[in-house]
Amino acid sequence: MISLLILAPLILLAALGAVWKARPVHAALLLALTLSLGGALYIALGAGFLGLVQFMVYVGAVAVLIVFALLITRPRDETEEIARRPKSVLPGLLCTLPLVAVLLYAVGRNVAEPAAEAKELPIERIGELLFTTHAPAVLAVAVLLTAVMLGAALFAREPKSFGVRRLASALGATEELGSPQSADKPAPAFQNPPTTK
Amino acid sequence: MNPLAILLTLSAVLFALGLFAVLTRRNAILVLVGIELMLNAANLNFIGFWRYGPPDPQLTGPMFVLFGIAIAAAEAAVGLAIILMVFRHTRSTDLNAPDSLHG
Repeated sequence: MISLLILAPLILLAALGAVWKARPVHAALLLALTLSLGGALYIALGAGFLGLVQFMVYVGAVAVLIVFALLITRPRDETEEIARRPKSVLPGLLCTLPLVAVLLYAVGRNVAEPAAEAKELPIERIGELLFTTHAPAVLAVAVLLTAVMLGAALFAREPKSFGVRRLASALGATEELGSPQSADKPAPAFQNPPTTK
Repeated sequence: MNPLAILLTLSAVLFALGLFAVLTRRNAILVLVGIELMLNAANLNFIGFWRYGPPDPQLTGPMFVLFGIAIAAAEAAVGLAIILMVFRHTRSTDLNAPDSLHG
């Protein structure tokens, strides 16, 4: 309860910074802070396993991915963002404030007083459930992650590479398709091609 | 004060902040930041209801969070890949820059 009261304002402040900061890198780093504070909150609530998963997946992978994307795209100066901010804030508030009002009204109206006993997330039970009840879902997520990995790798290659042969060479099956000249040629370096426009 | 109500309030405000970012940001990557905030707010609700709700041997809330995190990671990877792809064509991550479907 104490940790909740301490962490909740910190999370809100960090999230506010992530939303409001005009400089993109600052926003991304504050997102990482928000997510790691959220992981700390999970641990404080007794779901330590999920807190660690949050640290590893969100902070370790997603936030770093976003920072890398910012490094690659090199967004322009934040002056433009600040200049057009007065125009965008009002419609944004008009759309979000009613939502906040409805949600807070629903929360304030009827939340039962919860049971006071402490709970700890049983990790053994999670493993058991993952391999019995949720086994189909685990398989589906595995297929999804594989598809995402392949899709992202194909997206990251140069734009003209969406052929069967390129796909095969991306998967390392050049010999079977009979393209010996590309087998001994080194893979093209990771670089941006010249613009087509 | 009721801890569940605090958690739900925190989650509601986090969700609204994410939505605000999605609606007002023009950099596509920062829109993705808002989406991550919204997904995180939903996860917070699941954890809160598991922690302060009746005992649940099936652990529905935590399992949902576990899968939600996996889906969110996949979504971020694909989203960033698409943004980088668009960046190659338009040299910008501004959401107003891509104005044609011609690849």
